[in-house]
Amino acid sequence: MSRVRATTWRPGPRLRVVLLLTPALLVVGVFVVGGVLQAVLQSLGFAPVVGESQWTLDAYRRVVTDPVVHDSLLLTARVSVISTALAAVLGTALALLVRRLGGRRRLAALFHGTLAVPHLVGALAIGLLLSPSGLLSRAAYRLGLVDSVQDVPALTQDAFGWGIIAEYTWKETPFVAVVALAALSRRVSDLEDVASTLGATRWQRLREVTLPVLAPPVAAASVLVLAFVTASYEVPRLLGRPYPATLSVEAFQRYRDIDLTSRPEAMALAVVIALLTTLAALAYLRLVGGLTRRSL
Amino acid sequence: MTRPARAIAATAALTATALLATACGGGQEEAVAVDTSDWDAVLAQAEGQSVDWYMYGGDQRLNDFVNGEVADRLAELGVTLNQVKITDTAEAVNKVLGEQQAGRTSGGSVDAIWVNGENFATGVQADLWACGWTADLPNARYVDLDDPAVATDFGVPVQGCEAAWQQASSALVYDSAVLDEADVESVESLLEWAATDPGRFTHPAPPDFTGSMAVRTFLYDTLGADAVTAAAEGGGLADEDYEQARDETFARLLDASDDFWRGGETYPVSQEEVEKLYADGEISAFLTYGPGAVGSLVEDGVFPESTRTTVLSVGNISNVSFVGVPANAEDRAGAMVLADVLQDPEVQLGLYEATGIFPVVDLDTVDPALAERFAAVDAGPSVLSPEELTADALPELDSATLARIEDDWRAQVLRGTG
Repeated sequence: MSRVRATTWRPGPRLRVVLLLTPALLVVGVFVVGGVLQAVLQSLGFAPVVGESQWTLDAYRRVVTDPVVHDSLLLTARVSVISTALAAVLGTALALLVRRLGGRRRLAALFHGTLAVPHLVGALAIGLLLSPSGLLSRAAYRLGLVDSVQDVPALTQDAFGWGIIAEYTWKETPFVAVVALAALSRRVSDLEDVASTLGATRWQRLREVTLPVLAPPVAAASVLVLAFVTASYEVPRLLGRPYPATLSVEAFQRYRDIDLTSRPEAMALAVVIALLTTLAALAYLRLVGGLTRRSL
Repeated sequence: MTRPARAIAATAALTATALLATACGGGQEEAVAVDTSDWDAVLAQAEGQSVDWYMYGGDQRLNDFVNGEVADRLAELGVTLNQVKITDTAEAVNKVLGEQQAGRTSGGSVDAIWVNGENFATGVQADLWACGWTADLPNARYVDLDDPAVATDFGVPVQGCEAAWQQASSALVYDSAVLDEADVESVESLLEWAATDPGRFTHPAPPDFTGSMAVRTFLYDTLGADAVTAAAEGGGLADEDYEQARDETFARLLDASDDFWRGGETYPVSQEEVEKLYADGEISAFLTYGPGAVGSLVEDGVFPESTRTTVLSVGNISNVSFVGVPANAEDRAGAMVLADVLQDPEVQLGLYEATGIFPVVDLDTVDPALAERFAAVDAGPSVLSPEELTADALPELDSATLARIEDDWRAQVLRGTG
């Protein structure tokens, strides 16, 4: 019976696409759209828990004028831009180096291994390495470089955010390297060979052939890194200071505030973070669009 | 409709359905009522239930005790205990709040929370606790329910919404190889020591629970014990008195904190970080709410053997913590049986022996033989006895004042924006 039905009823191609997409759409719908919608509603004063819902932009006004948020924004921008730039430069350099030295497959496996390490573990490892009682300062003390471990400049919970930057750079460099390595195909070597037969020097080949080929994928990867770093929580929570804290940490601090009336502010901050990452995602889509056009 | 438009319409429809499903999920029916006046009926109802107890999971000895003796006793009653370890009690309260927001009035996933103070107050504000059941617990006869420390929780009347199970007392933990007894005499002498040996004292930044207590210890030192006790009994501090004491305290702290860890430029985020700094030898003194756990940490070699605990002359801050049961909890009866087991004097003794956590039962009401065993517990040379620790105990002020102290400290000391 069921066999008969299966042969007689066939969903049309459009319906089939919709059906196949349903599971993914459900996840996106419930967790992403639903979550963001909740955040937007609560940031505008929807407060079912406290029982008094008043629609207002007060939370945004408070967040925008709060000097704490300004400091937080500054730190977030500093950390995300510097770690993204470092990861992009180091990742590209690493990819070029791997191509030159060979052993591509083994090193690529190593990069993939680093990608699998959770940021939480990365942050703890950086803490063990860089904190004043960590490996680095103890080694410096043993080697007689400093008189006491206290004299080593603090690299975690520091004012600038070096510890956080170190973690993101360490974690995201292999990601950029993997993307760049994938772009360095045989075709690129052929182009470089052509350039060199036309008399291009090594520097000219790098500048005129290799880097232009690498730029779009590396830029696209960098935008992803930027969006991720801007919104991520656990690394600045573990390696950062209670003040100034990055936007995500600040938002969560307010979310956890014992006074439920500060929830709208937390949600407003969350919406701001979501907007920032959406902007990054749009930039990513444009870049990828440009990239596909170029390769056609 | 064009193809993309149709896809968008489909997405929108799916999203709307999903949102509706989340909003209505769980149904509107009330949770199964538990009539605690008939304890046998509660026991019968609890049988076969599995209690999800959300509690701070950072104390290994306490975790072992909970999963050992407490779980065994519950198993005898046919109740399964499932300890859910969290790092911050606010997480559990937030979870219940989220469920409440989604309209889930029964079948809630959180059955019991180890809670007190601000988190309890948040729950009261959102009306999420089951109330009026704690006096019906058979073992409640060993607890002095009229004692202000048990009847109010940081100034919020308990009203049977949470059952007491342990007592915390603050203390100063220090390395006696670095600090003399004279250095730990008072807040004054501690700050003087910090000036001579810079960088070796810190506390977590509030709103961390212990960090908040550390700041209060300094504030109470300015106010004096009598003023604090009077304020706790009289319903809070007058604004004027508070502001004067605050300005004086923060001026003193800003001055002294140049000699704190990292020059007082920043503070650790949590008490775990502070204890790690002490274990790593970065600092030599810190304040704690869990002096009972120090003995075992010394025994395990985490803390140096020269570690000692003491109480600064201002007195220490003491509070009771409780087990709260959310009104929408799925296994409410089981959670109440858990609360009763925790108040069993033998369990309280076991807790004290295993973890050094002070009992909440009134030792005058328990079996004299048992009371003697309480007195005979030896916590090791690092730890003071409960009598010594609580001789000058100061009460907790109300949550609103606490929140104000935390906010002001963050603004004036942490951010230094006077």
